[in-house]
Amino acid sequence: MTDFSDAMNVSASAMQAQASRLRYVSENIANVDTPGFHRKMVSFEEVLEAGQRTGQITTGPVRLDRTEPEMIYDPTHPLADSEGNYSGSNVNLLYEIADAREAGRSYEANLKMFDQVRQMTSSLLDLLRR
Amino acid sequence: MFQSLDLFRLSSAMASHAGARTAMIARNIANSDTPGFRAQKLGAFHEHFRPVRHTAVQITRAGHLGAANQASQLARSEPQLLGMSPNGNSVSIEEQMIYAAEAQREHSEALAIYRHSLTVLRTAIS
Repeated sequence: MTDFSDAMNVSASAMQAQASRLRYVSENIANVDTPGFHRKMVSFEEVLEAGQRTGQITTGPVRLDRTEPEMIYDPTHPLADSEGNYSGSNVNLLYEIADAREAGRSYEANLKMFDQVRQMTSSLLDLLRR
Repeated sequence: MFQSLDLFRLSSAMASHAGARTAMIARNIANSDTPGFRAQKLGAFHEHFRPVRHTAVQITRAGHLGAANQASQLARSEPQLLGMSPNGNSVSIEEQMIYAAEAQREHSEALAIYRHSLTVLRTAIS
């Protein structure tokens, strides 16, 4: 039974991590037109409890994408410099969509594992019934 | 009559092995996007099953009877380099799904055997 509750915790932590990754993706997409916005990236790491590996995962610290922002020519923009350019965001929508797809796929896989463990637990408990 | 109790021990060992296997697969899938994570593999029950000759009781390896958490000692990293993603992660979700279905089947098989032995025992007593 401890195996099962461990597995459920692991799957739940992974779903939470994927959901927060998806949150950062939507933040990036929402800010695709914000001048000077840097894309936020997040990685996963394992949770350690008193130096022991637990198998659960969490999102690591948020890092900003250091690539140069796109220069947009628009002399009427309030932020435009003397040549009429201003720096937009460095968000690439293609990357964000791919990232969102991957997060969704991993979330579903974890959900399926969670469901399977739940089914196995309930079939084990069914043995107690006559 | 009580010789059939071995059947109970065997099927509960099989069920706990399937449980350990499922936990391992859940860990692999949870880490399917963690950079540098290597997938772990735990084989099916029959791969680790070792009947002991000249005894009435058939016992599996020590990790199977009673101590479910020892099953993690049998697990090994897969030395698989083919499906490695650029961040050094070797988990293939599709493969893990197949293993998950296998583990679930193993578990329900074990429970079916257990329930059947229970019925036999009950019939014998009543």
